[in-house]
Amino acid sequence: MPVVYAALTLALCGALLSSMTLGYRLYGLDQVWAALFAFDGSETAVVIANLRLPRAVIAPLVGAGLGVAGVIVQTLARNRIASPDTLGLNAGASLGVVVASFWLGIGSLVGLSLAAALGALAASLLVFAIAAGAGGLSPLRIVLIGVTIAGLGHSLVEVVLTTNEAQLQQLLFWLSGAFVDRPMALAQTGAPIIVLGIALALLLARQLDALQADDSTATGLGVPLVLVRGGSFVAVSLLTGAAVAMAGPVGFVGLVVPHAARWLVGLRHDRLIPVAALIGAIYATLADVAARFVIYPTEAPVGAITAVVGGIVLLALLKRRAA
Amino acid sequence: MSGLPETVGTIRAPLALGLLALAFVLLALSGVAFGSTWIALDQVAGVILGAGDRTQQIIVLQLRLPRVAIAILAGGGMAVAGFLLQKITRNSLASPGVLGVIDGAALGVVIFLAALSNESNALVTSIAYQPVAAAIGALVAISLVFILSGRQASSAIRLLLFGIAVAAVAKSLTMILMLIGPIYQTSQAARWLAGAVNEVNWGEIQITAIAMVPIMLLVLVACRKLPPADLDEVSARGIGLDLPVFRILIFALAAALTALSVAFVGGVGFVGLMAPHLARLLVGRNIFAGLVGSFLLGAIMLVGADLIVRVLFAPVEVPAGTVTAIIGAPYFLFLLMGKQRHDG
Repeated sequence: MPVVYAALTLALCGALLSSMTLGYRLYGLDQVWAALFAFDGSETAVVIANLRLPRAVIAPLVGAGLGVAGVIVQTLARNRIASPDTLGLNAGASLGVVVASFWLGIGSLVGLSLAAALGALAASLLVFAIAAGAGGLSPLRIVLIGVTIAGLGHSLVEVVLTTNEAQLQQLLFWLSGAFVDRPMALAQTGAPIIVLGIALALLLARQLDALQADDSTATGLGVPLVLVRGGSFVAVSLLTGAAVAMAGPVGFVGLVVPHAARWLVGLRHDRLIPVAALIGAIYATLADVAARFVIYPTEAPVGAITAVVGGIVLLALLKRRAA
Repeated sequence: MSGLPETVGTIRAPLALGLLALAFVLLALSGVAFGSTWIALDQVAGVILGAGDRTQQIIVLQLRLPRVAIAILAGGGMAVAGFLLQKITRNSLASPGVLGVIDGAALGVVIFLAALSNESNALVTSIAYQPVAAAIGALVAISLVFILSGRQASSAIRLLLFGIAVAAVAKSLTMILMLIGPIYQTSQAARWLAGAVNEVNWGEIQITAIAMVPIMLLVLVACRKLPPADLDEVSARGIGLDLPVFRILIFALAAALTALSVAFVGGVGFVGLMAPHLARLLVGRNIFAGLVGSFLLGAIMLVGADLIVRVLFAPVEVPAGTVTAIIGAPYFLFLLMGKQRHDG
């Protein structure tokens, strides 16, 4: 087990280094070092400290958050093809952004980030309230209510987008997620929330293990079902809300990372959660690097990259496990 | 599958189906009657039977009936595909969207728009070939899913995951192509992705109907064998049903239905996810009732969605697919909340 953690941490360091050095311009490690620890105001130093550094901080945070959120949602829903979007969080965030930019005229990045977080939170509260109000947080009910809210959110977004074609392309970029041009302040707000969410998830790890079995087994093991499900909802909302606020709805990380993590360390959540956080961080960071080169010199939306790479990784995992 | 209670009453299912059929007919008729000009129902009937003045004939026969007809076929086809997939995989999140068919078709459309445009962004061929591109894309995607999954195709969750992976790759390629393409292509592609039932002609409806009828008949034959598929592998083999082969057949039927539905209409995926769940809540778990109910509900959702976009957003043509969720979702939530009271 320590070997897995060590290897993943090492890979994460490598990913972070490549995120700092590779891009529209290539920088040496010495230049990166100088810009970070002996800032001299030169153009190179400014680019590294103001443009590269925020991305190298935000990408792993978002990836880790979505990876852990995916693990929790798949356990909560007892469904291996569930992801944070199954609970309507991404749809809520997208709707928040679209409403803010079209009807409230908000154009600033911070305003849109806030709108995304609020939208995700609203969707999560709605799903939880309807599920709890209907009297049961059973996996099937959570999933069905979640996809319904998600469908509703997506369709409202589409209505606005198809009636305002002029702004379509610009918003499409946001709606597929990106790490480019994010201020450091965003990471400073997001980081504590992500850390809090992962801590809460780790706290719930043992109960989540029991939740994988059926409800009566879990109750028999002394797990307070409502409390654990409520806590899981809070954790998923914190993680996904902070992630979409920082980068927009980056798809597929929350779906594929849990599969990779389970393949590495099995089903125990006290191992799954940290490993999913590490894998998610590596994955998002590398996707961010790839996004700089795919349609060079333009930036590709990172959500597109995560989906292509994630799709291929998922195919490979599926193939391997067959053998 | 715990959670939702069994709601089958022996009398209830036929009653619910009858009411659904009634709602379906009424909605289809008002789909023809409503629009920028109101045409009374008796006049609609008259025009269909050959009477009426020329303006009314054009409006009814050329503009409105085709929309309603394709919405019925596509909505119903999508819903039946979703029903089959949810039954055979026993996964409530299964829908035509996760087999990669819709995203494959979308990629086909986007490539078609990008590859066949000249420097001034005008298409060098007729837009009428767009459905062909969609069909090719759908076929390539579903073949990829089956080829890649190989012998694992018989495992439900495996095949779903393979489908999701292929869908994800196709979807992101679509996204990238849309972002680097010129505005015209982007909005044309976005319309397709949302799913619209305007601009169809009778020839296209004929193609869809001719191809869909035999598939639906096959589905009806196959669905008589569906209940045992709810069993696990061992019991199913015990009663002499070769499950893996049967499962692949069902997957193929669902894929064919999806490809047909999206070719002319576009990505109306939500119908396929929601309609089967709605049908189960309304008419219970009986397979045949569920199948018919899904078809009717899918058709109702899409016809109703098209009606809403015509009445609410006119004269702007908003794709009907965008509002299917707005019709289905609130009602579905209402049903979900009500159900708990019975078993709670």
